Amino acid sequence: MKQRKKYVIIIDAAKCIDCKACLVACKVENKVPEGFWRNWISVLGGENGSLRTEYQPSQCMQCNDPSCVAACPVQATYKQENGLVVIDPEKCIGCGNCITACPYKARYRNPGKRIADKCDFCEDRLNRGKEPACVVTCPTKTRVFGDMNDPESQVAQMAKTQKLVQIAAPHINTRPNIFYYEGTQLLDWAVTPKLPGNINMPRDFWKTVSTAEKG
Amino acid sequence: MPETKTKMMSRRKFLQMSGALAAATAVADPCRVLYALTKVAGENDPARIKEVFSACDMCFNKCGLIAQVENNVIRKLDPNPKSLKSRGMLCARGNAGVKQLYDPDRLKYPLLRKGARGEGKWMRLTWDQALDHAAEQLDRIGKEYTRCGFLFMAGTDMQSTFVHQFAEAYGSYNVISHESNCLLSRNRAFLDTYGVMPTPDVLNCKYVIMPGANRFEAIVTPDSMDLMSAKAKKSKLVVLDPRFTKTAAFADEWYPIKPGTDMAFFLAIAHVIIAEELYDKTFVKEMTSGFEELREHVKQYTPQWAQVETDIPARDIKRIARELAAAAPSAMVYPGRRSSDYEDSTQIRRSYAIVNALLGNWDREGGLLVPKKVKPGSMHIEAPFYEDNPDDRVDAGRAQMMFDEEGSFKHTRDAVIEGKPYPIKGWMTYKTNPMQTGANRDKTIEMIHKLDFMMTVDIAMSDTAWMADLVLPAPSYLERQDPLSAFLASSTCSGVITRDPVVPAMFESKPVFWIVKELAKRLDLGEFFDFTVDDFRKAQLKKIPEVAKALKEDGVYNVSGPSFGLHKGKPFKTRSKKIELYNTRYRDKGIDPMPVYNKPKVIPKNYFRIVVGRNAYITQSASTNNSLLWELEKENKLWIHPKPAANLNINDNETIIVKSSAGKVTIKARVTKETRPDTVYMDTGYGVLSKGLTNIFGKGACIAEVLEDKADKISGNMAMHETLVTVSKA
Repeated sequence: MKQRKKYVIIIDAAKCIDCKACLVACKVENKVPEGFWRNWISVLGGENGSLRTEYQPSQCMQCNDPSCVAACPVQATYKQENGLVVIDPEKCIGCGNCITACPYKARYRNPGKRIADKCDFCEDRLNRGKEPACVVTCPTKTRVFGDMNDPESQVAQMAKTQKLVQIAAPHINTRPNIFYYEGTQLLDWAVTPKLPGNINMPRDFWKTVSTAEKG
Repeated sequence: MPETKTKMMSRRKFLQMSGALAAATAVADPCRVLYALTKVAGENDPARIKEVFSACDMCFNKCGLIAQVENNVIRKLDPNPKSLKSRGMLCARGNAGVKQLYDPDRLKYPLLRKGARGEGKWMRLTWDQALDHAAEQLDRIGKEYTRCGFLFMAGTDMQSTFVHQFAEAYGSYNVISHESNCLLSRNRAFLDTYGVMPTPDVLNCKYVIMPGANRFEAIVTPDSMDLMSAKAKKSKLVVLDPRFTKTAAFADEWYPIKPGTDMAFFLAIAHVIIAEELYDKTFVKEMTSGFEELREHVKQYTPQWAQVETDIPARDIKRIARELAAAAPSAMVYPGRRSSDYEDSTQIRRSYAIVNALLGNWDREGGLLVPKKVKPGSMHIEAPFYEDNPDDRVDAGRAQMMFDEEGSFKHTRDAVIEGKPYPIKGWMTYKTNPMQTGANRDKTIEMIHKLDFMMTVDIAMSDTAWMADLVLPAPSYLERQDPLSAFLASSTCSGVITRDPVVPAMFESKPVFWIVKELAKRLDLGEFFDFTVDDFRKAQLKKIPEVAKALKEDGVYNVSGPSFGLHKGKPFKTRSKKIELYNTRYRDKGIDPMPVYNKPKVIPKNYFRIVVGRNAYITQSASTNNSLLWELEKENKLWIHPKPAANLNINDNETIIVKSSAGKVTIKARVTKETRPDTVYMDTGYGVLSKGLTNIFGKGACIAEVLEDKADKISGNMAMHETLVTVSKA
């Protein structure tokens, strides 16, 4: 039997020069409307005029235990076999539960389509044999994309040789599939999500520590 | 998705239809229109997307790209991994190229000015009317004021060669480029030291001192990427910049040097390297001339002295000199790019060139290299001779050693305003925007008012087009056929790239090649343009047929392989045939043969020095109105340090007035420690006059409005960092 794919992105934030190529590439590829983004770059520093010293790119983390999926009342958002968390535009009713349920603020409501939208690692490009737009366009190759279940892949090799961490939200662990190099500073963009009352998450989803965790 | 499902009338599709109906009745609320949501059959079929090679034109780098074309519409621009120069990347601007093509602000038809200059009243012309009018003006001005009475200015573009050719056939040698607002003093300095402008092998360099250059924001391919690769190999980066740029953020050491004192730093570095005998003795003996003069000259420039000038501690200057020499020859002072800063800019860059020579990094891995360049053929024309033309260019004699083929915008503008030594009454600009990039905008406006006729060929209504009498719409780089262009990237690559139309030209836009060809026909100069771009390319490819195959298959022709050790034993193209630490040509012309330090003017109380630059999503004034990039920076702001801001009672984001002797602008403040307390900073590309740039009109301030127009004495390059300003609450 063919091994299931597990798509991940490994980010070496120390290489990000904040050039915003990934933001524009994503916006064009996925027709993201003005004022909204599927990916972003967080900045270390800059408050009250302080020096900005590090830049951290990110996007939807295609979590193993996605709180957005649990929060969707109509099963419009679901996790595929290849690990991607996607939205069925025909099923989505635009209720917005998944948007507040995401600890990474990775989702937005597309005002034209009036449904939720977020990064899907450019699934359309993957189907055409291309890597995600943000990955290929990067001048310093900050992001590395691949199938973690393929031992020959660059990401699997990196996971062996490089100490990686995940950015986890306070109180919950959705087991994200974006990994950062160890030493990446934990910024405040992972938040406690607002979850609907009736969702059913695994026991180890709830946690008490807020930290960058070992992958 | 099962086929049957796509055919079903889904709830969403029903909504889409009713939404469309609703939209027809509620036009004031465009958000009500719903988009098609169901996937159509075949959407995931890779064959639906055609891939076409091209070269990016969102800046000067010409990075390789692959356009993803669907139904004759460019859906996306992807990087071309085959381009060794761009190393498989496309920056934010490159990705925003689709918006240059599909931009509602594009010029659509020829326009003739109807109101006063800059008033924005236009009349649509047919191409025949526009070309007849331009030809009449060219003819009349040529007859009345000689052919040199018509000035031509073409920016960096693969078709600019045709504008130059047209000027030659027409008979004017008053041709200027954008470069005198950019990098000519750097080129001057390295040419006058090495006889050539070398490229830095950043990738293999172990120790880079980067004075002023901002390579992680002002992207140069492949240097920007190579700098990051070198960092991974533990190369050391030392940045000197009054600003904490993103390059400074990635540096091992950042020194907020006092603006205008870089030469003091490098003379002191030379002092230490020579005094402590750390230089490459064999190299200096065999390859350089004037070492003894240099040894004597730099004795006065001690690290202690430089500390006072630069604000960099003497112990650090000494240590850096020793570290640099220890890493040599894989060590360098990065030559940089834009050098339009000070009146002694060429001499400042000479000090960089001289330190490099002491390190012996010439033609060595990790040093300054001259890679093999591909030399396409060309089609030379035998230009007619016009007897009544004046003896020289209009800007001749205003700088000590100007590049005739580039000219000086600053000096030409002065000459036009003065009408001396002879009047200039016509001006054609192509893809350059001196209204935004040439310091002292009021003077550019004054110059334009001296003209009888000005025509501008551009994609959008730039500020320069806004002031013109005739505006002609050009296609974007994605819609036209260009000649081949050879590039020299850096250490590991040079090559050739070209463009064919990815999609047909939109509106009534016409390439400048077609425009000058049509003008030539009307001026009885048709014989000089009796060819097509295809013919031109054939001539270019004559001696390099292998290039055509690579362009077809890979979209780029790369020359790779080692690019060091290629010039062993070859003489330098200088007077002494060696690297000129001491330049005898300078001496003969009354120019300091070695860089002599002059203190920058003291900044009086309540004044600041203003410096300018850009970030990774700005190409001077050419990209800021692009809506994809505009979203990243909607207006520029004045960076000011918290200390002086507090003294002036200026808060972050507050509107302020910045004033110099050249002009006064209103702009918001960005209060930040990322600049020195005595230095303020602005991005280029905002504060436009043109109402045709709908996103940025009324946003931020224009650097050219507030910068004074000083010039580098040797090259005539604009000196933009000599300006002092006051800052006050609005």
